[in-house]
Parts: sequence; C-alpha cells; structure tokens
Amino acid sequence: MEISIGRQIGLAIRKYYIAYLFILGPVVLTTIFLFIPMISSFAFSLTEWSGIQPPEFVGLANYQRLIFHDRKFIKSFINTTIFVILGQGSGPVFGLLSALALNQRVKFRAAFRTAYFLPVMTSLVVVATIWKMLYNESGLVNFLLKTVGLPTTRWLMNPSTALLSIIVTSVWQGFGFETVIFLAALQAIPKELYEAAMIDGANAWNRFWHVTLPSLRPVIVMIYIIGIIGTYQVFDQIYVMTAGGPLYNSQSIVGYLYENFHYMKFGYASAVAYILFAILALFSYLQMRFLGREE
Amino acid sequence: MGMSHSRVMKLVGRTGFYLALIASSIAMLVPFYWMLSTSFKLEGDVFAYPPEWIPQPATLLHYIEVWTSLPFARFLFNSVFVAAMVTFSNVFFCTLAGYAFGKLRFPGREKMFFLLLMTLMVPFQVNLIPLYKLMDLFKWIDTYWALIVPGATSAFGIYLMRQYILSIPDEILDSARVDGCSEFGIFWRIVAPLSLPGVATLAIFTFMGSWTSFLWPMIITSSMNMRTLPVGIALLQEYHTTNWTQTMAGSTIAALPMIIVFLFMQRQFIEGLTAGAVKR
Repeated sequence: MEISIGRQIGLAIRKYYIAYLFILGPVVLTTIFLFIPMISSFAFSLTEWSGIQPPEFVGLANYQRLIFHDRKFIKSFINTTIFVILGQGSGPVFGLLSALALNQRVKFRAAFRTAYFLPVMTSLVVVATIWKMLYNESGLVNFLLKTVGLPTTRWLMNPSTALLSIIVTSVWQGFGFETVIFLAALQAIPKELYEAAMIDGANAWNRFWHVTLPSLRPVIVMIYIIGIIGTYQVFDQIYVMTAGGPLYNSQSIVGYLYENFHYMKFGYASAVAYILFAILALFSYLQMRFLGREE
Repeated sequence: MGMSHSRVMKLVGRTGFYLALIASSIAMLVPFYWMLSTSFKLEGDVFAYPPEWIPQPATLLHYIEVWTSLPFARFLFNSVFVAAMVTFSNVFFCTLAGYAFGKLRFPGREKMFFLLLMTLMVPFQVNLIPLYKLMDLFKWIDTYWALIVPGATSAFGIYLMRQYILSIPDEILDSARVDGCSEFGIFWRIVAPLSLPGVATLAIFTFMGSWTSFLWPMIITSSMNMRTLPVGIALLQEYHTTNWTQTMAGSTIAALPMIIVFLFMQRQFIEGLTAGAVKR
C-alpha cells in the first residue's frame, strides 16, 4: 500500500518533531534573512531601481556597465585587489615571524601575544579613528618620520599614499590573528620530526624549510583563503579614514556598493554585490580544491 | 675568570631577541597609548610639536563632554543591549540546532546541514539591500528588531556547537533515554552543561562580532537614539572633525570593554580561535 507524500511528511514530523523543533529557529531565520534576500538581491541586480519608482528590468545591463564602462567601479576593484595582495602578502608573514619568535623558549609569552593581539580585539572603526589622528599632517607618524629624516606627506589626503596608509593600518590591526593561529599550529608540530631532522644533520634553515613549513601548509592555506575573502570585503576603515577618496583612490568594492546604496541606486548596487559574491565564490572554490588535495 | 666566548654570544643573542620582541610589542601598543593620552590632553595640545607623550596639563573634561555632545550613553547602552541579545539568541539557537544536527537522526539532516554550511560562502553585503527593504517592509528600520533579529543565529555558530557536541559520548545520551528521560531533559541536563566550553567560545566571538559591527547598524539606524558605539564614533568624527580629544575619549570608552573581556578570558579566546586551525 502506497503512502502519499503528505502522509509521509506528517508521519516524519510526528516521529522526529523534537529534532525539527530544535532546528526550527535557525531554519526560519535563515530562510527569511538569508535565502530570500540572496535571491532577491540577484533579481534586483537585473533592474534599474531608484527606490521611488518601481524597478525596471534591464537584464545584464548593470553588470555590463560595471565591468566595462564604470571607471569608479574598476578603480574600486583594482584598489581592493591591491589591498588584498599587499595586505595578505605582509600580514600572514608578520604573523608567522612573530609566531616563530614566540615559539622559542620565551618568558612572558602571553604578554607579548597580548600586545600583538589587542588590535584584533578592537573595532575597525576605533582603529581607523586612532590612525586617522596618527596620520594627520602634524601627527605622530610624520613626527617620527621627520626625526629619522624620512619624507613626510599628508598620508590620507595624498592620492598616491591614501590606500597604502590604510593598508598599513589594517595590517597592524590584523596580523595578531595570524600570530595566534600560527603559534598554536607551531606548538602542535611533533618534536620528533625536528629531532629526526637534526639527527640527519639538518641546520636551522633546513629544519624550517623541510619540517616547519610543510607541517604548516594546511594552516597557511586556510589563513590565506580566510584572509583573501575577508579582505575583499574591506569597508569600515576606508569609510572612516578617507571615505574612499581622494578621487576614489582608496575606494573599495563594498565602499562603492555603499555609495550606490546611499544614492538609492539599488539595482546597480545589487550588481556590485553580486560581482563581489562571484569573486569570493571563486576563492572559496579554490580553497576547496587546494584543501581537498591535502587529504 | 670571564665567560666563554660562546656564552657571551648566547647572552647577546638572547638579549637582542628580547629587545626585538619588546620593541615590536611597544610599537603595537603605541597607537593605543596615543588614544589614551590624547583623551586627557587639552584640545590645543593634540598636535603639539614636539608631541606630548604625557599630557601636561591633563584633564578629565573630555570624558564628561563626550556624554553630552552626542548621546553617548545611549550609544553605549545600545551596543551592550544589542550585543547581549544577539549573543543570547545565538547561544540558544545554535546549541539546540548543533545538538539536533549532531546527535539526533531525522530525514533531511545531511542535506540541510550542507545547505547551512553553504550559506557561509555568501558575503553579508549581498543581502544588504534586500535586508534593508525587508526591514522597511516590517517597519523595523531604526529599531532594535532590525539590529538584533537578522543576526539572531549564525551558520558558523551551529557548526561550532555541533563540533563540540559531537564529542559527547552517545552512550550517555542513550542510557538517559533508556532511563526514560525526555529529549528536552536530555538536552537541558546533559548536553547543555557538557557543551559549556563551546558556549563560552561562541558567546565571546558573537559578542565581539556584534560589538564591532559597523556597516549594518549604520545603514539600519537613522536616529541618534538608536545608533551603536562604532556608528557613534564615526559620527563624532564627521561632526567634530577637529575635536580629537573628545573622539579619543569616546574611542577609549568603546574599546575598553573588549580589551577587558580579552584580558580576563584570554584562554577561552585563544583556544576558541585555534581549535579549528590545529589538528589535535
């Protein structure tokens, strides 16, 4: 005798109602505040919509304009990519170096670790505000540079230095995260591996290259993927320090998204968001490929 | 009789090493120190040349000013309230769901969990505009509902709790069932207490995420009374572009809670962060 789907569902719910009850909250919340918006967002991106009039379907016109004609978007995209390359090029390196240092027999290790990690605990808005003051023409950064005879400039107002200055601030804020992760990973490397290498006559550099780095490889990959995905979404510090200026020289993708939202160009802004989504999806896919290779 | 050459070298090396560590740590902390000392300076001394390392004269005025020039007390309350509510609700939903996905069997469990994990790939900004429109529809713009409900649960939190709960031995749960304990009872009396370390980690990171959140609160609040701390600090800057002393006082107030939480719960923090990264 066949049971109808409806009956099957009814029976399942009766039997497993506890489990369904337990997951009800997240299921409802995720559907309303994640799945539905995600799909709507794509629908919006295919329209021209200024909020007051109803949306007007334009197909892929927004995307076409963004990728091929919109200089501001292209600039934002390039800026963000530079941000990712420089930020992820230096942050994890500082993190690894400091972790290697702290992995030695160090007294007050926790105190040093706290010093590196404290900026990570601080809101990007606060960090950006402090550094905006430090980068001021008459601020501490210029004073220190003058003292050692290095050139000074109006860091956040100079089109060629604005983005770099923000990147420096961001690396300062973030590398402690990598320090902590690398330190834990380093401490998990079995001592026997090093002992075996030393018996084989390996010096410190060899040990690093042939024992430490390979053991750290999964952690490094994870850190880079998280870092790249996170950095592509940079917004807070740029908004506070330069609002994307001067002349879009420090604008990021999300910053441009916000700007379009602010001017009520909802369809266009949604297209920006989906391009960002595509970029991040690409990196997530790469991560799965790379990490998959490990296992 | 002096030390051997190699012992001297070792001592020099070790001293140099510690000096490097101390110097770099100080470099990390200087901006914080500068924030603190500026908050006690007189307005005219902020960009004194050469810079004042110790404020002379020092004043507490700005810590009083900052409460009156903008509704800073309200910002603080909003941040605390929203972060607390988001944390409680995440702990509640994620522990229940983490248990269900980890220990309860039900049709569709694997598929739904997979779908949930997939949502981690979606950056928040993709949902920004539709969420804004949704809040408009619900008439939730500029209310606590908009600040709290969209973030009331998280896929990552569910994943985290599930990981912790998976390590609870099935035998404990099964024998409780055999003894006639209800599913609710099992959850409340066995699973919940055993997953407290996971709860602590989830709570810390959820709180921190909510406390430092900027883009969403900025977009979804419009009246001064509903703003949260990060938005308030950003506003302090726009309205008082040269009033650094007040801005720094405000920043200190905003940064202090997380710093204090970290100093007291360092181990929880570090362990929570590194648990996923390191294979034990």
